[in-house]
Amino acid sequence: MTNFKAVGSRLLQLALVLWAVVTILFLMFRLMPGNPMAAYIDPTFTLEQQQQLMAQFGLDKPLWQQYLIYLGNLLQGELGQSFRYREPVGERIWTLLPNTLVLTFSSLIIAYAFGILAGAYLAWRRGSFIEQAAIPAVLTTRAMPEFWLGMVLLAIFSFSLGWFPAGGTRAPGAEYSGFLDLYTSRDFLSHLILPAATLAIYSQGLPLLLMRSNMLDVMKEDFVTMARIKGLSNWTVVVRHAARNALLPVMTSFAIAVGYQLQGNVVVESVFSWPGLGRELVNAVAASDYPLAQGAFLMIALVVILMNLLADLLYAVLDPRVSHA
Amino acid sequence: MTEPLLSVRDLRVSYQVGRSFVHAVDGASFDIPKGSITGLVGESGCGKTTVARALTRVIADNAAITGGEILFEGRDLAKLPEREMNALRWRDIAFVPQSAMNSLDPVYTVEYQLGEVLRRRGGMDRRQARKRSEELFEMVGIDANRLNDYPHQFSGGMRQRVAIALALALNPKLIIADEPVTALDVIVQRQILDQLKELQVRLGLSVILVTHDISVVAYICDRTVVMYAGKVAESGTMQAALTAPSHPYTMGLRNAFPDLQGAASGVLTPIEGAPPNLANPPAGCRFKPRCPFALDVCGSEPPVVDVAPDHPVLCHRARESAALRIEAAKTETWMARA
Repeated sequence: MTNFKAVGSRLLQLALVLWAVVTILFLMFRLMPGNPMAAYIDPTFTLEQQQQLMAQFGLDKPLWQQYLIYLGNLLQGELGQSFRYREPVGERIWTLLPNTLVLTFSSLIIAYAFGILAGAYLAWRRGSFIEQAAIPAVLTTRAMPEFWLGMVLLAIFSFSLGWFPAGGTRAPGAEYSGFLDLYTSRDFLSHLILPAATLAIYSQGLPLLLMRSNMLDVMKEDFVTMARIKGLSNWTVVVRHAARNALLPVMTSFAIAVGYQLQGNVVVESVFSWPGLGRELVNAVAASDYPLAQGAFLMIALVVILMNLLADLLYAVLDPRVSHA
Repeated sequence: MTEPLLSVRDLRVSYQVGRSFVHAVDGASFDIPKGSITGLVGESGCGKTTVARALTRVIADNAAITGGEILFEGRDLAKLPEREMNALRWRDIAFVPQSAMNSLDPVYTVEYQLGEVLRRRGGMDRRQARKRSEELFEMVGIDANRLNDYPHQFSGGMRQRVAIALALALNPKLIIADEPVTALDVIVQRQILDQLKELQVRLGLSVILVTHDISVVAYICDRTVVMYAGKVAESGTMQAALTAPSHPYTMGLRNAFPDLQGAASGVLTPIEGAPPNLANPPAGCRFKPRCPFALDVCGSEPPVVDVAPDHPVLCHRARESAALRIEAAKTETWMARA
């Protein structure tokens, strides 16, 4: 099977990309201005005490040694100690990542489900009043900054109408036994709606416009005309042939959208005080908390890289021309 | 001629381009008898493909059938409600497209695409559809174990065979083949044409073969309909068209293609000039500007003259055709015009 070989070479590429990301992350934070220890080392400390602290975090060693230690630790799944929280970065990320993933995927799945259906519909109804009204509306949602949209939704649905809570993931004092318990609770879902809606409204334009333009192209294809000449029902022609083919590039865009979304999360999580990786990342960078920022960046990069792999594999399943070449 | 399977009467199809209308088919009439292959021939833009598509009533968004009748087994397809027309598509009238690559859906196997027609349109169950698909593949000479392949895994000629198998799926009464071999090399062309002819005879099908290549028509057709600028110039049996072409355009076409029936002069003589703009066609005979035999009278609308039974010709000088044929055989006749 050539498929195994293809997957193998993709995994190798993935490892290389990951290594590059790790290296860039390492260097990036060392090149940033400012001494990371400034926040934790009191100027009244003696030089000896300061150096002792530096040594404790390994910051007295030459850069290449720090890099090797960092790589070695990463291979063991060790992300280091957060300067600020004085606790392992891995644990910190592990509690935040699920929040981010739930927010990202729930909003993206809504955005894509809506965008694909609406895009196909608008292509089918080309030239109608609905289409002419919908396209500018969609472009408007693409043009709105996420933080602004988030604040508008907060102002309307939280502050004015009071339908949804303004931030966080749970009501004050509420305790849950685990992730599943939390994520299926009414409390959590009501917290999720506004940030997820913000991201979904912002994201649905891409799949919608992509799907629409693909559909318009595919509808002109001979096989769609032939499907009509075969006397197949409108539904079969539009859904089974036109939409099925138009869907291919949209699925690839999903992976890219995950990357954009994680980027968007940084903003939206801050607006909605969502305890996710994005907000933590902003805080960590502001506080020069190298290990935590590095870990957060790494996690985000890892998700993007894995999604790209998934998109490639999915494409091979969806398009026989890729897998049966 | 017995009662024809299909009778097209004064068919008109127009395309809207901007604010103007292009009358791509402007009063075409011809008959398709049962159990024959009819070649619908003419140069690019003469309206032959538009006629072919109008018969299925799946035409471009900016096109409309603006007049005439398409009588198929006593029903006028031009006026049939869409629901009834759709019931008749593929079951009675099937279509073989020019580019089989683009006309097969790339994401489904060939078996799925055959099965789709057999099950959704033919009411078969999965097992019956599989059996029929194998039968169809055998008919067109493809191994049944290739049913699970995707369109891109077939060669051009094989794909065309698949397209023919698809057309045969529901035992239609009429198959319209729109330039079915144009995209193929001559050897494969010949194989496909032989196959089409063999199936047509064996199954007693009626076929309309749309082509610009009069040698293809001469090779397998029983009858021919010659179109020029949206109108039918001449129609009749193949024998009549080859031995007694009576429209100057048909005479010119005969000179412009290598003669497959032998007795070639050895020189190919093109018809100079180009067809008229159909958005604003000239008055009178549309071939007049290119015709070496044009007279003043040709500035008025030409009559349909039956030069022989079952051999109508759209020409003022159709009655003189025997004399014109002798002139038309000479290269100088056509050069003088240029």
